[in-house]
Amino acid sequence: MAEHYRRSQARNGLFVLPYLIVFVALLVFPLGWGIWLSLHKVDLFGPGRFIGMTNYWRVFADPIFLQALRNTIIFVAVSVPVLVGLGLFLALALNRTTRTTSFMRGLFFSSSVLSVTIVTLIWRFVFIPGDGLLAQVSRYFGWETINFLSTSGWSLFSVGVTTVWWCLGLPMMLFLAALQQIPNDLYEAAALDNANPWRVLTRITLPSIARTIMLVTIIQIVMQFQLFGQAQLMTNGGPNGTSRPLVMYIYEVGFLRWDIGKGAAASQILFLIILCAAMAQYLVSTRKSGDAA
Amino acid sequence: MSASIEITNVTKRFGAVTVLEDISLTIKPHEFAVFLGPSGCGKSTLLRMIAGLEDVTEGSISVGESRVDTLPPGQRGIAMVFQSYALYPHMTVAQNMAFGLENIKVAKDEIERRVRQAAETLEIEQFLDRKPQMLSGGQRQRVAIGRAIVKEPKAFLFDEPLSNLDAALRGRTRLELARLHRRLGSTMIFVTHDQVEAMTLADRIVILNNRRIEQIGSPMEVYQKPATRFVASFIGSPAMNFVPVTHATLDGPGLRLTTSGLGTVQTAIRPKNDLVMDGLTLGVRAEDVEVLPPGETGTDLTAEVIEHLGDHTLIYGLLSDGTKLTVETGGRSEVRVGDKVQVRLDPAALHVFDAEGFALDWEGR
Amino acid sequence: MSSNSETYKPEALKANRWLLWMAGILSIIMMAPVAWLLGLSIKANQELMLGTDAVFRFPYTLVNYFNILHSSQVFGWFFNSVVVAGGQTIGVLILSSLAGYGFARLEFPFRKTLFVIVLFGLTLPEQAVIIARHQMFTWFGLHNSYIGLMLPGMSSALGVFLMAQFFRAIPKEIDEAALLDNASQLRIFWKIMLPLTLPAQATLGIFTFLQAWNDYWWPLISATKKDMFTLTIGIASSQSNFAQTDGLGFLAAQAVFASLPVLIVYLLFQRHIVTAVSGGAVK
Repeated sequence: MAEHYRRSQARNGLFVLPYLIVFVALLVFPLGWGIWLSLHKVDLFGPGRFIGMTNYWRVFADPIFLQALRNTIIFVAVSVPVLVGLGLFLALALNRTTRTTSFMRGLFFSSSVLSVTIVTLIWRFVFIPGDGLLAQVSRYFGWETINFLSTSGWSLFSVGVTTVWWCLGLPMMLFLAALQQIPNDLYEAAALDNANPWRVLTRITLPSIARTIMLVTIIQIVMQFQLFGQAQLMTNGGPNGTSRPLVMYIYEVGFLRWDIGKGAAASQILFLIILCAAMAQYLVSTRKSGDAA
Repeated sequence: MSASIEITNVTKRFGAVTVLEDISLTIKPHEFAVFLGPSGCGKSTLLRMIAGLEDVTEGSISVGESRVDTLPPGQRGIAMVFQSYALYPHMTVAQNMAFGLENIKVAKDEIERRVRQAAETLEIEQFLDRKPQMLSGGQRQRVAIGRAIVKEPKAFLFDEPLSNLDAALRGRTRLELARLHRRLGSTMIFVTHDQVEAMTLADRIVILNNRRIEQIGSPMEVYQKPATRFVASFIGSPAMNFVPVTHATLDGPGLRLTTSGLGTVQTAIRPKNDLVMDGLTLGVRAEDVEVLPPGETGTDLTAEVIEHLGDHTLIYGLLSDGTKLTVETGGRSEVRVGDKVQVRLDPAALHVFDAEGFALDWEGR
Repeated sequence: MSSNSETYKPEALKANRWLLWMAGILSIIMMAPVAWLLGLSIKANQELMLGTDAVFRFPYTLVNYFNILHSSQVFGWFFNSVVVAGGQTIGVLILSSLAGYGFARLEFPFRKTLFVIVLFGLTLPEQAVIIARHQMFTWFGLHNSYIGLMLPGMSSALGVFLMAQFFRAIPKEIDEAALLDNASQLRIFWKIMLPLTLPAQATLGIFTFLQAWNDYWWPLISATKKDMFTLTIGIASSQSNFAQTDGLGFLAAQAVFASLPVLIVYLLFQRHIVTAVSGGAVK
């Protein structure tokens, strides 16, 4: 009895094969191998013996790691709310199609297309001790000129300012998209219901984009946990490691000191932290919206 | 070039759900067959299985002499016109029609000849260089038909082609399709849920319901001799009246049926086979119920709603026991809402259905 | 698109104007560093060494830009960026279109499972794989090569996801009509599907190009030879000699020069980029 013609055929899988090869070779395999590396003593001369979780304990015991962890957490805890808040503010302010608002939206988003090296260069010029833009401005107003990049408290802050300047565009755009999905009828009904602008904002606008707020927050958490270039280029993690983020730690351990096993372990730890943070944020948001509903 | 289509013991399952069970039928060459049924009955699925767009779970399908369920869609000698026309948006009308022939390496001048001829037949020559989005719905449909014609297929499949058209266009297109069939003489299968389309276009209608074929027959056959209660209720507008039978005996010339609303009806029906006398239903069409002139007595009917259609009038009424009965009478009827009229059933136009919904067969039916 | 915040009451308008002014002030703050950069780039290095407040005084000069044009190094970096970003974009477009079509329109065993696995790839951050990748590429001797710089970016699942979404939007009947027209799957893909997805290709292409152009970490560790630097890395390497040799003015001019290609692409394709980023919803 001859075979029925079937629409599902293995041959159709050939379309996805080229990508899958690349996917496996460059994502799946390195992921697995990275974990393998983290469990071995590895150096320049090749993988050594299996040492189990030793690399991980070495990482946790490393004070520089703990400092980098602290730095990164503080950084995320401050920069993400600022990015989400400012992004939301701009989206609300610029949610119109006039020439001015179009121009401003284009302006705020344009910084995002620059590379990290250009952005850091721009801001280093701003932060030059005694000579940068900020120094000029301080001198004009007669304020004390602070050495932003090499003062303990300020170095991470400067990196934060730079990051916000750089990354503001994306949250703004995502919020704009969400705001434009809100049907006009809701606002019209609110007008008939005598709602003042504040109530409209808190009871109609914000709840309508609640999912987007959560989405943007998660995206920013994931992104900012991966802080690297700005810190490395502007402050080199200093002074005394007070602005060193986790990714920079991984870079130094894995690519400057070639302690590959330890670097791999640190990167897996970071991966897990990011996963947990994103998941936590997701659970918090869904629980909140669940209660409200 | 027209071929027969033979469906043998075809079953179709989607996972655990069976949509069609052990379907067998043969469509003769040059025949215009209509698959008719309510939504979800599997008529489109059956059509798509013939085309090769759905897998056949069990059974086989043949076109002409060759078995086709083992072949990919393009090689079955079948052309299909989709409900949404499915024209390639970025190609011109001419390119749309030529695409299929290019794929099987037909010679360029032959392609041009066929395209031009089809365009003439369908009166779309002036659109050949336009893209689909510049055409109206009716024009697009003709292009879709043209795309099918140029392939010179053994059979044409139409998947609810009139559903997307507005009412006026639907009537006109129905006529055009009938003319097309007469002109080309090809085997055609047409899927619809509209029984008027089926009645007007079909040589034979295949009525599908609940995974099975209820009946296959010519329009007059299914109208006058419905095989099941479902067919009787689906074909014909207004729908056939059904009156439950409380008691039945074989008495004298035929079945004697006792109903609550219509009283006792003596019929001349002598059933061919053995009959279970319980749970029968009496069926009669509205046009076979007569409103008696004043003075004659029949059965009481109170008119609830009256529809004047000009050439005839429909009286939706209630029998004495509350059963609904629809009666068709002349266009000049003066019956008004609330009137009590006397009605009588035409004894030669009765249908009896058993408890399972099958129509009784009797001598002389 | 009509404004959502413009209700029918004057109070709402007042609140809006206040918001707009705040945004306006913010935009001045946004532009200030760039203005500063431009100012620095049009001053002679020697002047700036004496103090950057020279920016506020005449004379201005284009000498820094001339020097860039004579600097083969910067042009070399520029060329590398073009090749790497261009090559990566082409690779991503080809792989993602094929795979996106396969996942969205074709049926084959394990399709759903494979797609879910690919989606997981979207959530994977660079650090989880970069060390292993670096080792692999060392083995195969792929560092300091164009191929080595292009390859990792081609594994991005984002392209597959975007193209699959787009392919799904095309009505299924078109595939079916083409099947009945005896077209092979490849021919359907090439002659029908691809032409219908040109806007998506453009969007994905621009997005990928920008990402590849601005990539930092991978080129940093894979291109260790100066002549293989991309423009992004080259600027970074110049930065380390910050206060000294090259001079502030020249450095600033380099930064301006390096931003020009990206900003031009942005200005030309602003709509596409915004579409890619916001999922097509922002007008």
